[in-house]
Amino acid sequence: MVFMTKHHLHDRHLSRALNIGTPYLWLGLFFLLPFAIVLHISMAETALAQPPYTDLMSWVDDGVLQIKLNLQNFVTVFTDELYLAAFLNSLWIALVCTVLCLLIGYPMAYAIATSPERRRVILLMLIILPFWTSFLIRVYAWIGILKPNGLLNNFLMWLGLIHEPLTILHTQTAIYIGVVYSYLPFMILPLFANLTRLDFSLLEAAADLGCRPFKAFLKVTLPLSLPGIVAGSMLVFIPVVGEFVIPDLLGGPDSLMIGKMLWTEFFGNKDWPLAAALAICLLGLLVVPFVFMQRLESRMGGDEL
Amino acid sequence: MTNPERRTLEPWQDPKAAPYVRIDHVTKKFDDVYAVDDVSLDIFQGEFFSLLGSSGCGKSTLLRMLAGLERPTTGRIYIDGADVTDLPAYSRPVNMMFQSYALFPHMTVEQNVEFGLKQDRMPRKERAERVGEMLGLLQIGELRKRKPDQLSGGQRQRAALARTLAKHPKLLLLDEPLGALDKRLRESAQFELVNLQERLGITFVTVTHDQEEAMTMSTRIAVMNAGQILQVDTPTTIYEYPEYRFVADFIGLVNLFDGRVAEIQDDRVLVETQLGRRLHMRCSHPHAIGTPVTVAIRPEKLQICQTYREDGVNQVKGVVEDIAYLGDVSIYRVRVSPELLVEMTLTNIQPRTEQALTWGQEVAMEWSPTSGVVLTE
Ligand SMILES: Nc1ncnc2c1ncn2[C@@H]1O[C@H](COP(=O)(O)OP(=O)(O)OP(=O)(O)O)[C@@H](O)[C@H]1O
Ligand SMILES: [Mg+2]
Repeated sequence: MVFMTKHHLHDRHLSRALNIGTPYLWLGLFFLLPFAIVLHISMAETALAQPPYTDLMSWVDDGVLQIKLNLQNFVTVFTDELYLAAFLNSLWIALVCTVLCLLIGYPMAYAIATSPERRRVILLMLIILPFWTSFLIRVYAWIGILKPNGLLNNFLMWLGLIHEPLTILHTQTAIYIGVVYSYLPFMILPLFANLTRLDFSLLEAAADLGCRPFKAFLKVTLPLSLPGIVAGSMLVFIPVVGEFVIPDLLGGPDSLMIGKMLWTEFFGNKDWPLAAALAICLLGLLVVPFVFMQRLESRMGGDEL
Repeated sequence: MTNPERRTLEPWQDPKAAPYVRIDHVTKKFDDVYAVDDVSLDIFQGEFFSLLGSSGCGKSTLLRMLAGLERPTTGRIYIDGADVTDLPAYSRPVNMMFQSYALFPHMTVEQNVEFGLKQDRMPRKERAERVGEMLGLLQIGELRKRKPDQLSGGQRQRAALARTLAKHPKLLLLDEPLGALDKRLRESAQFELVNLQERLGITFVTVTHDQEEAMTMSTRIAVMNAGQILQVDTPTTIYEYPEYRFVADFIGLVNLFDGRVAEIQDDRVLVETQLGRRLHMRCSHPHAIGTPVTVAIRPEKLQICQTYREDGVNQVKGVVEDIAYLGDVSIYRVRVSPELLVEMTLTNIQPRTEQALTWGQEVAMEWSPTSGVVLTE
């Protein structure tokens, strides 16, 4: 006890440094470093080289280091209407899908959270089950369902509701369907986690004070599940903005999404700097709602997420 | 704590008085468990009524049925003469304070108190007045802007009480209202609750498994066991004249002697017990000879016997085996036969160190034939 020596203290400092340092190291290695590289590429110019862009820095004869920052790519991103339209459309699709996921997911999460223990496990399994097959395969499967002579059209015609096939595949509608289907679990799971912790005696208290069930939902359940709603919405919104596979497989030529643009610039046009600039802008776009969420969190006490 | 002058007009003794709450043969089954089993009960206006019983005996379930949070499987419930059995909780003129308080965590104390008033569409000005009045009454005015998680246990209890009282209910249900408080706080809260009840004239029905709490606060107590009500009486009657072995045993300490009625002399029964002698007890019930009975005597009814005789009335002798010193009183456990311990409580008139009775000492005890009861069940 008395010999709380330097050695001990040193050990403690070390373990503390490790504890705090590990996440930073992780962040630095897997986020900041790639980000720096992408930022670096975004300010280069295309070149016929391997990799296909110029160096930012070069030595000019008299031992002068010349740094050339090319902002042209950003200018292009902001001025070319195609990119602007793609950004706006991505945001729009992400927004619509988030709202749809919320509207579908909330009642489902609520039903699971309030169902008896044993059934709850089964229902949760059913939500998670699709993850056992590849995402790509599941999206491909939707082609089979949505195509003109696919399952859906055949079924509707068999019912006599329609007389000729609807064109759903390769439209924005197909993207909505595919995205909502794929991202619904990401909405349901955080909502479920939040709603299972809801103290149902609060609803009884509300009823006891003269509050009808629906109003009690609006006044008690909904505000208390706000952290779950925010978390679920972020988990859907952020990846959907940059979604590439679904618009590529299910979307049509009219459905521009920034993820797909990025792909085309990168692999199709081999314009890495422009693709990098797009990626940087996309990141900026996604940081905004994240900061917004953080604000909301801290304002609400924030310990619930 | 009840006013002795009121004793003559106790409503439950008045056959003409209409009960405020009438529970009529109510049963509640959960799957195959009878949580409440054929309970009938009348509660009168202005009463402080306590449901007392061990854990899981159905107290909360009965209370929740009064609040409308649980529907009886069979039976009817009447409040103020109206059948409310099928009325949902939100339209009953009843408010309940929950065991866990169930304060809305996302609202301030003020908003919590206001919640019920808003449901009644009370005008804003009146609402603010009422909230102020309630916060003042419970002395939590300066906490009005706090959220429940920023309150201490006692403050939370006050906030919950303010919320239930705000609507001026005629009937207030309290499920273990003081359960979460420590002993000191609980004692002062008990007084406050009784004062409040007398001041507002509201009928209180509380649930507790703390017998002391029930004794100090209630006008009447219903003792429950396994979904059934065994006895409903004033605290004094419950304590002095329990009708069931369970009731005698549940409330306070008691010595129980099993035996058979051996002889009847005028208003006394003589009970043959395992003490090896007959106990003389006054008993108003006529018992047939040979009936198995239990004699129940509270430890404080025993005295040290100065003139012990082998054939003395209600006298027993034994050796002090155990002493529980509680400060004001001490409980002596005296072994009177190899399988029988008798408990005797004596007030510590002398400081403990100077007391005569110690471990291993032989002591003779006696009690009066009028100071116990003879139970058949
Ligand atoms: N929703 C329910 N579903 C199934 N059984 C229940 C339900 N609520 C209560 N019970 C059962 O009914 C019985 C009575 O429960 P209750 O909550 O009324 O007891 P209590 O007297 O309030 O006990 P405590 O003093 O522990 O609060 C218990 O056996 C309990 O397990
Ligand atoms: Mg209970």
